[in-house]
Amino acid sequence: MNPVDSVDSQPTDRTIDRRSFVNRFAVLAAATSLGAVALPAVAHAAPSATAPAGINPNAYGDVRPEALADITELTIAEAASLIRQGRLSAELLVEAYLDRIGAFDADYQAFNLVAADDALAGARALAGAAYKGPLHGIPLAIKDNYYTRAYPTTANSYLFKDFTPPFDATAVSKLTGAGGIVLGKTQMGPLATTRATTPDGRITTVNAWTPADPRTNPGGSSSGSATAVAGRMATSSVGTQTGGSITAPSNAQNLTGLKPTMGRVSLYGIIPLSYTRDHPGPLARDAKDAAIMLSAMAGEDPNDPRTLGLPPVPDLVTAATPVKRGNKVAMRWGTRVGVIPDFTAGSSETTAARRAFLDKLAGIEGIQVVDVRLPEDWDTLTSTAFNNVRLPERSEPFLPLLRKDLRSFGVSVTGWLQGSMLGANEYVLGQRAKVLLLERVLDDLFEQCDVVLQTSPNPFDAIGLPELALPIGFDSADVPVGTILGGQPFAEDRLLAVAAAYQAVTDWHLRRPANPVGETPEPISVDPSKSRKPFAKSARGKVPAAPVPQGRGRFEAHEAAELSQ
Amino acid sequence: MPLTPPSDAELDIMIRARLASLGIDLNQLPAGTASDPETGSPGQASVLASLRSFMRTTVAELSAYQVPFAGAAGTADPALLSQQAAPPALYPSIETARRTA
Repeated sequence: MNPVDSVDSQPTDRTIDRRSFVNRFAVLAAATSLGAVALPAVAHAAPSATAPAGINPNAYGDVRPEALADITELTIAEAASLIRQGRLSAELLVEAYLDRIGAFDADYQAFNLVAADDALAGARALAGAAYKGPLHGIPLAIKDNYYTRAYPTTANSYLFKDFTPPFDATAVSKLTGAGGIVLGKTQMGPLATTRATTPDGRITTVNAWTPADPRTNPGGSSSGSATAVAGRMATSSVGTQTGGSITAPSNAQNLTGLKPTMGRVSLYGIIPLSYTRDHPGPLARDAKDAAIMLSAMAGEDPNDPRTLGLPPVPDLVTAATPVKRGNKVAMRWGTRVGVIPDFTAGSSETTAARRAFLDKLAGIEGIQVVDVRLPEDWDTLTSTAFNNVRLPERSEPFLPLLRKDLRSFGVSVTGWLQGSMLGANEYVLGQRAKVLLLERVLDDLFEQCDVVLQTSPNPFDAIGLPELALPIGFDSADVPVGTILGGQPFAEDRLLAVAAAYQAVTDWHLRRPANPVGETPEPISVDPSKSRKPFAKSARGKVPAAPVPQGRGRFEAHEAAELSQ
Repeated sequence: MPLTPPSDAELDIMIRARLASLGIDLNQLPAGTASDPETGSPGQASVLASLRSFMRTTVAELSAYQVPFAGAAGTADPALLSQQAAPPALYPSIETARRTA
């Protein structure tokens, strides 16, 4: 934990002129009577620091004793620190995860493919090699809609069943370029729609907190990515979000998920669901890990024009490092946390957890919890009808395949046909409505607060604003309860700072689920005197998804048609 | 005189025609409401019911919306001033940053 930063440090949302919408329209309106057009002065200033090329040594804390005793518990920050100190090898870390995958993934069904031998070879190659970056030796799970040149990329769909891409997605290249090791590809909802199922709707992935009960939603569509991390079968993972598919599985499985601002991470080499709403991002164990992952993934990509000409990536890792004033945790930057109407309405266990969360936040120096009103026409502009404006972006890139074989879309086909029904008039109106909603969010909602709590990810998904999901408790069945914070454009640093402060005064994010029933590998310790005991069921070779166990249930086509992803 | 909302039969003809104009043949799916046992894809009748509902809700609600003009309107027709409000943007959050960069 670091002392409070120098006073000239500022979050990215203070470097972007939020009022530009109002100013611009006001000036243009005035110009009609004055006969002159003068746009407002620009207000973007460089953030105080940009993303570090390597590890910021002050940003990595001590390693917890329980993680030293079982290295599958390590966060990225902890593992990276141990690897740099020479106290842990990447190979041993990979072995530990392969043991757990071999023991438990037939139950969890988190992976579509485990690249066991390749991961081990990659880890061995790092031994004694030059330092590659902040993810040096960190085993990662990759959602199966990210292109991987070495492995099939199926999106759990009949359409991509035999598809091996000719290149890696830019995000995958960046992760491996920073030293990350690809452990495997994770299960997902077909084409990123529902919770993870086979293309014909049979439920595969379970929530790591209830492995014996498939009725507990693991969150979709990045279900496997969440279960892989929660079940300690990877240190971290990546997913995609079009309608809550990073935040929902993170909330469901006690993880910290970060859906960045549109354009912050390249979408090149990711199978599209909706061009204007797909967001790649990490599902991680805490705010620090989410920051390390996003730092590695973010940045310009000539293959994706959405990433070009944006504010520089700030120092997210430092933003996610808690600070103290005296002996008390304090906010890095003074922050008003907005609470929307009905956030704590009712008497459910979720709302009880939300109230406790707000109380805890309010006790952190530098955080002010404030009630906020929603912008005018919020219910209309965020309604199902306006959310459905995304659907032609689903059907257009798949048109040749819709002509060829509707059945190959399996249970998910109806959403693609709905997209074919929406006319260009409605689509253009939808794009205008997005502008209107963003104007009102920036000029009204963010006039009242700096970050805002969400009850649905869809509004900020639609307008491309960042969201961070974090754990805030458990219900009486020991199933995680989480919540979502939303931020201003490119203000991932502010969201991370709030999450880091909260996680410095709570331990929800450190809790791990019990193992599924069955033979369990011996935990592997960092202690050099305790060598790894070979585990016969450890994953080896290239392991495809195990057969779906009986009794998991099905997702039907009419259910898929009603979803908002 | 208000328009008469389209009947189910009229919508079904429109839906099939729209799909056919895109080269999509709904007859690829099984007849009736039962899902295809091999792929889980829905039957034609189920899809048509869903698409009729989509036309009556999503398309109708979007079409009924008029983007409001935020400035002083005076006595001007709001439908005309609406044209000046909120020019469309595919990626509004990105455009915000670029506008101030």
